[in-house]
This record gives sequence, C-alpha cells and structure tokens, in this order.
Amino acid sequence: MLTVEHLRKQFPIAGSRKVVSAINDVSFSIAPGETLGLVGESGSGKTTVGRIVVGLIEPTSGAVRFNLAGDAQGKARPPNGKVQLVFQEPAESLDPRMKIGSTIAEPLQALAVERTEWRRRVRDAMGLVRLNPALLDAYPAELSAGQQQRVGVARAMITEPELVVLDEPTSALDPTARAEIIDLLKRIQIERNTAYLFISHDLSTIRFISHRVAVMYLGMIVEQGDAAALFSRPQHPYSSGLLSSVLLPHPNLVMESPVSLKGEIPSPIDLPTGCFLASRCPFVIDRCRGEMPPAETVGPGHSVHCFRHNEVAATTPASKTFEAYVAEAERTLMRPARQPARFIPQP
Amino acid sequence: MDTLIGAAKPSHSAVSATSADLLRTEDLRVVFPTATGQARTVLRGIDLSVKPGEVLGLVGESGAGKTTLARSILGVPPAPGRIAGGRVIFEGRNILALSEKQLRLLRGRRLAMVVPNPRGELNPTVKIGDQIATMARVHLGLDRKAARDRAFEMLKAVQIPDPERRMNAYPHELSGGMAQRAVIAIALICDPAFVISDDATSGLDVTVQAQILDLMRKLTAEHGSAMLFITRDVGITAHFCDRVAVLYDGEIVEAASRNALFLSPAHPYTLLLLAAFSHNPALRLGWSVTAAAAAPAASDACIYADRCPLAQPICRAEKPPMAELAPGHVVRCHFPVRH
Repeated sequence: MLTVEHLRKQFPIAGSRKVVSAINDVSFSIAPGETLGLVGESGSGKTTVGRIVVGLIEPTSGAVRFNLAGDAQGKARPPNGKVQLVFQEPAESLDPRMKIGSTIAEPLQALAVERTEWRRRVRDAMGLVRLNPALLDAYPAELSAGQQQRVGVARAMITEPELVVLDEPTSALDPTARAEIIDLLKRIQIERNTAYLFISHDLSTIRFISHRVAVMYLGMIVEQGDAAALFSRPQHPYSSGLLSSVLLPHPNLVMESPVSLKGEIPSPIDLPTGCFLASRCPFVIDRCRGEMPPAETVGPGHSVHCFRHNEVAATTPASKTFEAYVAEAERTLMRPARQPARFIPQP
Repeated sequence: MDTLIGAAKPSHSAVSATSADLLRTEDLRVVFPTATGQARTVLRGIDLSVKPGEVLGLVGESGAGKTTLARSILGVPPAPGRIAGGRVIFEGRNILALSEKQLRLLRGRRLAMVVPNPRGELNPTVKIGDQIATMARVHLGLDRKAARDRAFEMLKAVQIPDPERRMNAYPHELSGGMAQRAVIAIALICDPAFVISDDATSGLDVTVQAQILDLMRKLTAEHGSAMLFITRDVGITAHFCDRVAVLYDGEIVEAASRNALFLSPAHPYTLLLLAAFSHNPALRLGWSVTAAAAAPAASDACIYADRCPLAQPICRAEKPPMAELAPGHVVRCHFPVRH
C-alpha cells in the first residue's frame, strides 16, 4: 500500500554550499496491516523518512506512492486522514491549552465529517485507546505521560487511517506505560488492519512489534528483512553490532555478535566514499572504502548492502536469544495460580 | 553483612560501628512542601548500602524518587525538598551532618555524580580541557600544567577520539556521546571512591551506551570505586550491576543480587516491571490491577496495596517489614512470590 523508491533528501546549510545528506537512496514498501520497524541511531535519518512519508517534508528526489483501498493506481498524496503521525514527546505534541476532547477531534476538521458526528467519533477513539471518557474535558497537564500518548494515538486513529507513522512513540515513557501503548497499537492493528511505520532506536520493542525490519545507517537502509530472520541471523555488520548492544532483562542471556561497534556515526555533511560503515566495521576490506556495496538479495524479502555479508552471517551463530528470553520470561514472570503463602520472617 | 537492607537490622549506632560498607543510607527521608501546606513524602526511609568496588543498581519509574535519592546522598536534595530524617554514612562520617565547606571537599573528590543531558551539565563557555582540569586543580591541588596533563590523560582514558583537539573544544562542538565521556572524565579525574550515575546513559544511542557502560565499568574497576547506578532501563542492570534494588514511590520494595532479582523476583511490583519488558501482555496483565482497589488504605498500609493483584486485607492494615527471603534477598511484602 506504500511504496518508497530511491528517496533522497538533502538539507542546505545556511551560509554554506555544503548540504546535509539526510536520506541517501532509501526504498521500502509496506503492505496493509503490516508493521515495518525502522531502526537506527540518532542521525540515521529515521525521522526524516517518517516525515517525508506523511508529507511534512518534500524529498529532494525519489518517489512516495500510496496504493490505498479503492485507488486504481498509486498516488503521491493520500486523501486526508488516511496517513497519520504519532509523535515522540506526548507532552510537547499536545496543545497545553486545548482540552483533550478537542485535541482528539481536531483532525476531523480536514474531513467532511458532520459536526454532529464529532462527539461520537471522539468517544469511539477514546474507547479504542482505553481512555476514560471522563477525561474528555481534561487538559494535557492533568494526564500521565502514558495517558498523553494515548491521546496522541486517539488523535491519529480518529480519521481511520490506513497507515500510521509512529516516530519513537514510546521512548519517553516508563516501562509499564510503554508496554501498554505497544499492546494497544498491536490490538488496533489487528482490529483495523492498519499498517505501521514504527520508528525506534529500541531494538527489543522493534523486535516484538514489527513484521519486517529496516536497519538505517547514515541515511541508508543497510539491511531489511523479516523481523525474526533478521534478528536471528543479521547479515550486515551494523545490524549485528546493533543487536549485540541489546541488553535483555535477564542476567544470563546475552546477544552474541562478532561485531562490537566503536566510535560514532560519521557526519552526514561530508559523506564517506564507499560503504558508510567502513570506518567502524571490523569486516572492512579495501574494496569497502572505494565503492558502495549494492543491495543484494539474500533471502525472501531480505536484502543487504555488504560485500562480505556471507562472512558476517557465517560468524554470527543463528541466535535464538530472543526466543530463549520469551520462554524464560514466561517461566519466571507468570503469575502463580494460587495466592502465595503469607511470609513471616524468622526473627 | 551481606544483605542490602538489614532485615533484622540492629540499631543504627551498632551498624555503623562494625560495617565494611563504603556508603550507607539509614532511614533516609525526604519531604517536599506542597501548596496545600501538607508535606509530600518523596523518600520514605531508604536503607541501602554499597561496599567498596560494588555496583548497586537502582531501578524505578519516573516519580519513584530516584533522582531525589541520588541528590540527597550528596546532601543536596532537589529544591524545594528537604531531608526530614536519617543519615548518609560515607567512609564513616554522616554526610548530612557536615558543613557546606566540608561537603564541598567531599563532592567531586571522594563522591562524584554523572548525570543525563551531558551538554546541559557542561559550562558552554569554557573549553572541555579546562573544565576537566579545574577539578584536579581544586581538589587535588595540582598546578595548571599538571592539571592539564591529567585532564588530557582522562580524555584519553574515556576514549574521546582526537583528544588533543577536544581539549580545546567547547561543549557544543561535541556529540552527545563525546559530551557524556567528558562528563565522566570530570567525575572520575579525582579517583572518587563512590560514583553515582543518575540515568547517565539514557539519552545515548545503544551502541554508544554500550561503549559508555564498558568504560564506566572499566574505570571504576581500575580504581576500585563503588557505584550507585540509577536507571529506568531494567535491562542494563541485569548485565551491569552486582546487586539491584527496586524503588517504588519512595520506598525500596525489593533488593537482591542480580541473579536472584531477575531469576526469582518476589515483589509483585518487581514482577510487573519485568513483565513490562517481556512484551508478553498476558504476563503484564497478570501483575496489573484493572481498576484501583477500594478505599485507600490506612497510612500504615503497604504502599503498593492499591496496585497489587495479590493484596489481601492485611496489606491494607499493616505495612510489611523489609524481610530477608533468602540470604541477600530482601523484600517488603506480606505475600512474596517464591520460585
């Protein structure tokens, strides 16, 4: 339903002829009801991609095409309300002087929805995100961060979008509130067949919410593929390094990787020639410094930009760490069927 | 004494006479005045201890009192909070009883803190090298040249690329990761015995975070420093800390070695917190209460009673004591889960 092809975006630098190359040839697609997780470090261009998809930024070159229900052919601009955005900072993305009922209703202004319908639509949207209807007249400051983000989700969902871009929707939240929002998003997706572009730097959230994953580095998607496949056997050194930095809440489960990334992401102003990761990559060979590796297909729907992806895959044991963690969590954290006995400490 | 929080704790004076703890808080209480005139209790009697060379993790959600605890240990609770009781014993002295002058000699020298938002912490108008060197001049009495040399060594130790150039850089010229390294250099240049890290890695990218964590562990191990590592990311503590304490609403509800805490968590709040990371809704819902329970309990109830799926009448009537479930594993709950 969404196809993005050869997207590039350069931002001019005031007072200079140089440009910031934020997006360097990005292509991906999203099917109805699917979640594509877009993961990468700050400065990798994730947010810029999201903003181009919703139309807030014009790309320098490349195409964004929507194939929404009922359309015969792809359109560059979707009908109002069909593509929505949820922001990172729930507090800052809400108008502090607007009651939350009005905030949630605001997107309806752009649609031909009868005023008399608004109240019902707002109540439905609040119900969808499990917000207490009593909060209709509350101001954002009266809400917890988790409730504020529910308002953000309700505001996006009220127009019944087919695609929602979620830009770090949970990174400002506490663990319990984060888990609630993730569960909510998954439930809405199942109920409404909504597609998500889920942007995050949190790999374990990406792992659990995404069907497919695209790993971004310096404005490029260096690897994309099925979430389970990519996480169990990454083929790009950067994906592998990112995964090795995931710290699961279990003392004995460590993500194994031959790659530990040193240093930081290079400047997007003077892009390196050749592979962008060459300066940080333990697999680097001379060829990497001279030419950009092309995208190679390494499995169904799985592509990677790396000359040495076979060696990377070969040195990374197929990891079942996430699966092991899921099983461990179930074993340790399941609520016992019976009330535990009263504990009376020995004197 | 192997327990973090003395289960059958002797009187305070007896503890301080014998303990090998580097730092210990005893019944630390902090209150914040409110507009209604009634003080809000933010720390409800924190007892914790850290041995030399040990890394103690402290996890909790926003509002639990993590930062208030970090700052109170240094004798400066965030305004307008004030310390309403308790002691902080560091190297045998009660920090809270020291004069401001004595405190100043201690902070930055023996006790250091690393905070999040490193660029906000650095002085934007002073070169990085000078900011680091100032610490060595003030606290170690080094002359200008020696202090600069030491600052340069520190920049190398925290693995800032191109340290010669960074010595003369201003904070805005550094990336977030480099600024955090500079703040760590400032914190560690005087070889502190105790380092508090208050969410120091939360704003960083995961690959940078991994490098900073390695660095902090390496440097504190080399110097034998102990650390209080405060975070809301439970995953870090599972790999980085020797012991972990869980803070809820100003009270420590459970503390144990990292293996015990993650493999046999006992307090219902700890279980909820860990379940939130599991991405398994069934586990999380098992530890959540859907609606707030009946009337708020008496003032001496368990603080978690209203959110606890295991709560029984006694939880609303009687506050559970901190009790030792297994050696070194303490929990404040009438009905802890046994594994």
